[in-house]
Amino acid sequence: MAYQPSRRQVLAAAAGLVALGLAGCGGDDSNESSDLEGKRVGAMEKYGVGDQFKATEALTFSVLYNNHPNYPLKTDWLFWSELTKRTNIKLDPVAVPLSDYEQKRSVLIGAGDAPLIIPKTYHPAENSYVSSGAILPVSDYLDLMPNFKEKIEKWKLQPEIDTLRQADGKFYLLPGVHEKPWADYSLAVRTDILQQLNLQIPKTWDEVYTMLKAMKQAYPALYPFSDRWSKPTPGGPLFGQLGAAWGAPGGWTYQHATWDADAKKYFYTGASDKYKGWVEYLAKLVAEKLMDPESFTQDDDIARQKLANGKSFVISSNAQTLVNDYRKDLAATNPAAKLVKIPQPIGPMGEINPASRLENGIMISTKAKDSKNFVAMMQFIDWLWYSDEGQVFARLGVEGTTMVKGASGQPELSPNVDMVGLHPQAPKHLQKDFGFGNGVFAYGGKPELVQAFFSSEEKEFQAVMNARKQPVFVTPPPAPFTDEEREQATLWETGLKDYVFQQTLKFILGQRPLSEWDAYVTELKSKNMDQYMELVQKAYDRYQKEHG
Amino acid sequence: MVKRQKVTRGYRIFQVVNAVVLTGVVVVTLYPFLNIVARSFSDHANVVAGKVNLLPKGFNLKAYEEVVSDSLFWTNYRNTLFYTFTATVIAIVLTTCYAYVLSKPQLKGRGLLVGIAVFTMFFSGGLIPNYILVTSLGLKNSVWAIALPNAISVFNLLVMKAFFESLPSELEEAAAVDGLSTYGILWRIVLPLSKAIVATMVLFYAVSFWNSWFSAFLYMDKQELWPVTVYLRNLIAGATSTAFGGNAVTEGAEALQVGATVKAVAIVLTTLPILLVYPFIQRYFVSGVMLGAVKG
Repeated sequence: MAYQPSRRQVLAAAAGLVALGLAGCGGDDSNESSDLEGKRVGAMEKYGVGDQFKATEALTFSVLYNNHPNYPLKTDWLFWSELTKRTNIKLDPVAVPLSDYEQKRSVLIGAGDAPLIIPKTYHPAENSYVSSGAILPVSDYLDLMPNFKEKIEKWKLQPEIDTLRQADGKFYLLPGVHEKPWADYSLAVRTDILQQLNLQIPKTWDEVYTMLKAMKQAYPALYPFSDRWSKPTPGGPLFGQLGAAWGAPGGWTYQHATWDADAKKYFYTGASDKYKGWVEYLAKLVAEKLMDPESFTQDDDIARQKLANGKSFVISSNAQTLVNDYRKDLAATNPAAKLVKIPQPIGPMGEINPASRLENGIMISTKAKDSKNFVAMMQFIDWLWYSDEGQVFARLGVEGTTMVKGASGQPELSPNVDMVGLHPQAPKHLQKDFGFGNGVFAYGGKPELVQAFFSSEEKEFQAVMNARKQPVFVTPPPAPFTDEEREQATLWETGLKDYVFQQTLKFILGQRPLSEWDAYVTELKSKNMDQYMELVQKAYDRYQKEHG
Repeated sequence: MVKRQKVTRGYRIFQVVNAVVLTGVVVVTLYPFLNIVARSFSDHANVVAGKVNLLPKGFNLKAYEEVVSDSLFWTNYRNTLFYTFTATVIAIVLTTCYAYVLSKPQLKGRGLLVGIAVFTMFFSGGLIPNYILVTSLGLKNSVWAIALPNAISVFNLLVMKAFFESLPSELEEAAAVDGLSTYGILWRIVLPLSKAIVATMVLFYAVSFWNSWFSAFLYMDKQELWPVTVYLRNLIAGATSTAFGGNAVTEGAEALQVGATVKAVAIVLTTLPILLVYPFIQRYFVSGVMLGAVKG
């Protein structure tokens, strides 16, 4: 076999090398926004909100391209030609298979061979490149990006943006921005069973418990709730939304330190009473056999099969899996079944929507700054990813071909074009045949745009969720580590996280009684929890003093 | 020992146990593959319901049609054939030459040459230096990026060296007396006697190049240049990673709807050719490795 290192090895190697090899090149990058002499070739003299960006001469920028197996890259897509027509920019994609995108990104950045534009980066992945100086502190150049600035201001996104800041007070990632948060995950529930048992759709986690209890009574042989998305993180979305409902998210959204707005302090998430609250709740579900204990270890396919075969009635879901997986499965095995994604149940935190308004974003290679076309590139990025026109273009395409204006002048998908099964009879597909709605280029936007491909039931779900308020822990004040601190913190975090996740499962599965919670907290202390929190506090205080 | 050995009771029991255990091993090995084959011919509903075991349920060829009609799949498939062929040829030539040289005890600096090879087993420059090396040699986006860095597997080299050492040196001396040059000896005497080891090495190399995806993934920036393994990996691993990354808000519009049956088809089509190679080379395989190992 050829040499095939694991992803973790590669990331570690790459990050390490970046730090080693380039550490000397970092440093003084203040005042650069004024130092743009000779870098305006191709840029527009006057470019502002509402302007169509068009380079004054034909330019080409390289871009890292995440190649999705569902719509493999085609060079004859309307997207490319229309983009060049409108902006005079040609993009030169470096195609990377989606399966290993992060890995290749690390290697390319580490080797100094990265394309200028590096999209699809999820915060905090950019942290590992900051110290190397290989990526650009984009916050220094926001003056070149009028649309981005306007969206931050108009949509009041500053607190969210601040969560991206590094110890130097700058941020290195241009995130995708949403006007409204987009909660995607919730529970899917078999409503035909609810009807049969004369139950309402549960609104709170207590009602979820009552519902499961009733289901169990009627069908004692099965576990009514069997969940998925437990690999590699157990309870990925479930611990996330359940934890959010208690104010201390776990699973995919686990953060070591969670912000407590009342105490104006960070607390350690996995040791908090809030965290204990939802763990207790789940432990109860498992103990009363309402929840399948295999939920946290089984493969997704197994959970899907249980639902499809009527061996469970409740499962975690997002908008896509609901329509594409579960309903399709059920239609084949049990056409009478009805499955609905319910609004996230409410817990002690009240009616909240814990989704963030930022999504994956763009890093820019530091090399770009040395290009004489630097200003043009920033304007281009601003137009394509952040202007209203650019966002409509990237998501829905060209009016008359892939997009039509609805009754209220609202851009909509043309009926002759299919996307996520909206127009199944249409001969062509928005992504496969035209290259629009592409995850590399279409980020965020206004809710109307983000929801352009949503079914009416999903829009209803969004309406309910958007009426709820954003909890404070989504936008904690910045407490960025310095490089040395991060190195130390990462060491502690690894041990802490493994232990928290492992013990969380033990508590939930009843392998360890909850009466031992205090002992567990003591064990966390022996894994440097207190030192870790001191470090967070120090970073917070320092940031407040220097940039606050 | 011409007389037939008496078959004892114990021996018979041993044989029965042997047969049972080995049948078990065969079943365990074959089952996953047969299951994948059965899935590839089944309809989607039965697959997701987990009803397909050894035989297809709801037999149909839709998934095959889907994969076969994807031109990228065939482009990548062709690449795999080309890369495997080229890389194997290069690897065989280089490994044979190196191993033959090393098998000569009179060679000066032999220890050093062996040392250089073995050193790479324990130490490698690491991923990024390798990447920088290959890139600055201008090998990126070409078959050389796959073939050259992996051309000599030290393990194969040592096996081959042991084999050559086991050949009687008198043969070569006789050939030399009859006027053959060094290359003539290698080409006319040694290689014809070494078909077994060469066939084995071809198999080793071909299988490893066929299966490999990492160097192609690293050095190929255009999907038209990927081998089918990268295509397959993207199809299968892509499904999982999207589900995971889905917690960040993006993927909503990007349904990752690769049917379980389509995956199965791609797996079958990708593994089949290399599986078919085995039976034909197998006979060399056993004698080849044994010869080298026992006498080396």
